[in-house]
Amino acid sequence: MNANDIIFYLLGAFILVNGILAMTNRKIFRAAIFLLFSLIGVAGLYFWMHVEFVAAVQIIVYVGGIVVLIIFSIFLTQQTGQDMPKPNKMRMLFSALAVLFGAGFTYMLIRNHGFIGDGNNQFDVSPQRIGEQMLDTEQSGYALPFEVISILLLAAMIGSIVIALKSKAQEA
Amino acid sequence: MEFSLSAIANQVDTWLHANCASWLALTIEFVIVGLLCIALFAVLGLVLIMMERKVSAYMQLRLGPNRVGPKGMFQTLADTLKLLVKEGLTPNGADKFLFNLAPFIVMIAAMLVLAPIGFAKDFVIWDINIGVLYISAISSIGVIGILMAGWASNNKYSLLGAMRSGAQIVSYELSAGLSILTIVIFTQDMSMGQIVASQADGWWIWKGHIPVIISFIIFLIAVTAETNRAPFDLAEAESELTAGFHTEYSGMKFALFFLAEYVNIFIVCAVGATLFLGGWMPLHIGNWADFNRIMDYIPSSVWFFGKTFFLIFVIMWFRWTFPRLRIDQLLNLEWKYLLPISMFNLLLATFIAIQGWYL
Amino acid sequence: MFITKYLSEVFGGLRSLLTGMRRTGYYFTHHKNIITQQYPNEKPVLAERFRGEVVMLHDDNNEHACTGCTACELACPNATIKIVTKFDLTPEGKKKKAIDKFVYHLELCTMCNLCVEACPTGAITMAPNFEHSVLNRNELTKVLNKPGSKIREGVE
Repeated sequence: MNANDIIFYLLGAFILVNGILAMTNRKIFRAAIFLLFSLIGVAGLYFWMHVEFVAAVQIIVYVGGIVVLIIFSIFLTQQTGQDMPKPNKMRMLFSALAVLFGAGFTYMLIRNHGFIGDGNNQFDVSPQRIGEQMLDTEQSGYALPFEVISILLLAAMIGSIVIALKSKAQEA
Repeated sequence: MEFSLSAIANQVDTWLHANCASWLALTIEFVIVGLLCIALFAVLGLVLIMMERKVSAYMQLRLGPNRVGPKGMFQTLADTLKLLVKEGLTPNGADKFLFNLAPFIVMIAAMLVLAPIGFAKDFVIWDINIGVLYISAISSIGVIGILMAGWASNNKYSLLGAMRSGAQIVSYELSAGLSILTIVIFTQDMSMGQIVASQADGWWIWKGHIPVIISFIIFLIAVTAETNRAPFDLAEAESELTAGFHTEYSGMKFALFFLAEYVNIFIVCAVGATLFLGGWMPLHIGNWADFNRIMDYIPSSVWFFGKTFFLIFVIMWFRWTFPRLRIDQLLNLEWKYLLPISMFNLLLATFIAIQGWYL
Repeated sequence: MFITKYLSEVFGGLRSLLTGMRRTGYYFTHHKNIITQQYPNEKPVLAERFRGEVVMLHDDNNEHACTGCTACELACPNATIKIVTKFDLTPEGKKKKAIDKFVYHLELCTMCNLCVEACPTGAITMAPNFEHSVLNRNELTKVLNKPGSKIREGVE
């Protein structure tokens, strides 16, 4: 086991521990913070894999966007300072089952198929390459999904503006 | 011999590798870099707070601190000593874990952003290939620390301050990011080293003319807002929220917040100097060979710190000139003015870059 | 049109910001005329009409102009002034009313200037003295007429 592996396992443990803490903590704000750490750990994993662009996007989108949004909605909700009620036994049982099945399924997949690739071949992930790929209309280009997602985001943005907009009649 | 930070760094590196195992040398280098960062932070805190107090005093026709040491130069040292020995209180109803964690999150975020900044020629901690994206990503972690501090203090003023600060940073990050993108369009690279290298024949503020000047102005306004400084200091508006998110902090934990504020100013100004004013590149004018040679003689670190401190001075100038904005004015400024202008500016920059109408 | 209004707003805003910055920049570069007065080291320059305390004017012969008419005492809204009168004998053998003590309670005074305005002979005035701190409260009760002073000749 070399230093690279140790870093990988440390990052993995960091992500998993924080994920479990986020699930089990009954103070909702703390849970959000543990989720944040877990997501930062994932970004660390991307840095470890030398895909810096994805890592930076992970931090921008999840840490700067999603978690801040979650924290804001926690702030705007009432009685968030109190502990959450204990979940009932049945719910705990079924979530444990779901986790178990998920883990089993993943394990089966990995065992049956293994990891393709030896992990030594460097792949070109410079931002220029990503940009070209994103707007490529040829085979294995991402122009169409990129545009579809853009339109989806635009629609979401317009929708939220329409919802937030005060109508003239109400003002008067 | 000419003074150069990279030569010193190389000497240290060769000496370490000659005398220890390579893993040990690497570890020692990590420790040295970390210690240098901390030392830089400490010095920056002392210098910038002193500078702020003197600049504010001169702009208001006052004298400023003038008792401790010559011309009051040791005033901040005395203040730091006071903060060090002060008791760090934690309020009773506070969420102790998050309350104590928050200043460190803010500080760590500030420290991580130092990595891709080139302090001198060939003197950079980690010239990551997505430099500017990395900076805008990491600097968004800092807001989490502020939100955490506001929440954990169990104080309504802190919470309000934190929410204002969060809304402000999240919205102003957009126009800061878009103005950075203008430079990325011109250089076609996001690495800080490449951006500096592309300015060897002239800084972008001259070469890129109109779109770069517009984005420079927008960048200055947006980073002033992002660092929560006056006229955008609603997060800690003394007259309304006592001190915003750090109302309940005292002693060393408060000092960390205070230090992080000033370090963030240094960082955004360093980024601004790198993107728009050529980083450590000396000032060259066309074919004036003699002039250029004299400029080259000045060490690159001096150029970098000179430009950075010039921008810091401009931001301090803002602070001591303009009155604080209201929250609705703040959001209007971002969403109705800065964002549309920077989007239009991005189109303009793209057009100019495609047409090749820059030097 | 919308776009011209928008642009004029933007440029107008920028220009007003620059005007402000030019002002502070001027101050920054012209800091010779510092307005800070380093108090314990240098005496502060006070305004002409600064009201620090009530004093009684005495001339070189240790004579004042107070007739003891108590107009100031009546004018004072919070009983700061207490005049103790006595009767002097004039050379002709007549009794004449004069002040024995002009007692002034600085701790009660609000510096409203009403006593000075009420005085018919201009005997009292406001002095620009602000260093009033003492260790004992009793020291704030002052007698304004100097010992051995008497009323100036001709003041009625």
